[in-house]
Amino acid sequence: MDDRKIQILIDSLWPMIKAGLQYTITLTLISFVLGLALAIVVALVRLWKIPVLSQIAGIYVWIIRCTPLLVQLFIIFYGLPTIGIKFDPFPAAIIGFTLNMGAYNSEIVRAAIQSISNGQWEAGYSLGMTRGQTLLRIILPQAARVSVPPLSNSFISLVKDTSLAYTITVIEMFQVSKQIASTTYEPLLLYCEVAVLYLVLCSVLTVAQNVMEKRLARFSTR
Amino acid sequence: MIEIRNLHKSFGSLQVLKGIDLSLEKGKVLVIIGPSGSGKTTLLRCLNLLETPDAGSLKLGSTEIGFDGGRKPGKQQTLKLRQSTGMVFQSYNLFPHKTAIENVMEAQIVVQKKGKEEARKRSAALLAKVGLSGKEDVYPHQLSGGQQQRVGIARALATDPDVMLFDEPTSALDPELVGEVLKVMKQLAAEGMTMVVVTHEMKFAAEAADTVVLMDDGVILEQGPPEQVLKHPSSERAAQFLNLLTEKEL
Repeated sequence: MDDRKIQILIDSLWPMIKAGLQYTITLTLISFVLGLALAIVVALVRLWKIPVLSQIAGIYVWIIRCTPLLVQLFIIFYGLPTIGIKFDPFPAAIIGFTLNMGAYNSEIVRAAIQSISNGQWEAGYSLGMTRGQTLLRIILPQAARVSVPPLSNSFISLVKDTSLAYTITVIEMFQVSKQIASTTYEPLLLYCEVAVLYLVLCSVLTVAQNVMEKRLARFSTR
Repeated sequence: MIEIRNLHKSFGSLQVLKGIDLSLEKGKVLVIIGPSGSGKTTLLRCLNLLETPDAGSLKLGSTEIGFDGGRKPGKQQTLKLRQSTGMVFQSYNLFPHKTAIENVMEAQIVVQKKGKEEARKRSAALLAKVGLSGKEDVYPHQLSGGQQQRVGIARALATDPDVMLFDEPTSALDPELVGEVLKVMKQLAAEGMTMVVVTHEMKFAAEAADTVVLMDDGVILEQGPPEQVLKHPSSERAAQFLNLLTEKEL
């Protein structure tokens, strides 16, 4: 590799990491937290079969899961302004990814809650606890443990999916690599470099998942 | 303490309780026996509304609830009734993510709104009472079945219930562990706790019960002091069931 290429690699590293910190990571974190909150609400509404709301939740999950994320982002950012609903790129991306996470993760949360034996609910009720208290103190902590592996999966997917935000003009990590690639005419170099950055980021998260699983497994019966 | 009138319960087309009348005075021990499928567990679960009866009425302490068409009673009434009962489950149902003492503290903190220190003190005393001093900070899976069930009893006692409900508390235990649980139950009975116990332990029924109820097919077949029900049942069906149990024990 010649000196020029090495120089490009080094020079482009910080702008990419900066975009990664500023957009890729914040976009991932905010969307995941909001999406998880939404997912828990959707899961409970469907588990408890709350009239009307559970039908709406069902339709929401169905639509989000059965249309491409890219199309959803385009509808939010390019489509909605035509009927007067306008978002800046970053909020539009947050909305898109949150809705997406909410739908996918609601199924994970639902399965995790259902995997906790009914006896746990009954034990809470028999002590005079309300449904909400039993949910928060007894069921969710146990469901959390079950759902760490699948939720980590969707978290890691989200990290990579945020690269789609470049299509709605968010200057995230991939967009920066794209810009540098087109000015330096080194697409292979730059795209490989950004791939390595995603690889490092997701590897760190995989390690974090393992740590979390071990921590939550302290009361495991296995 | 407990008054049950004409209690009915069906699961789909299966009639599980076909009009149960029962009463129990404060400080007495009622033991319910009967073949599986006779409705004894369902009856017990109706007492703290884990099952909602279809018809009849239930009075427990100062709470009185009438049932009509399986409609659920009000939330406040349900919570009040459950707070005045404690339940011990066949499969313990301890909270696996909490230590022994945290299991016992939980309802005191969440339901009774006690401070952590106060709850911890009382919980330690309760664990000592069921013979588990030194096991406070152990998770349920590190305990034997008999120890887990004794934590279950301590947990149910934590909120000072008026009535303790036991749903086959020794059925999931290895034979050598049954004794330690029954011992705690006998001790409670001797202290004057009002208890309703669904069990197959005839010896416990004979020694600890004030009243034995024999259920079959959703109705009460026999009811009276243990001496009478266990030794001199009046119906042929009851005699058959009791014979079967004695044979098994021999």
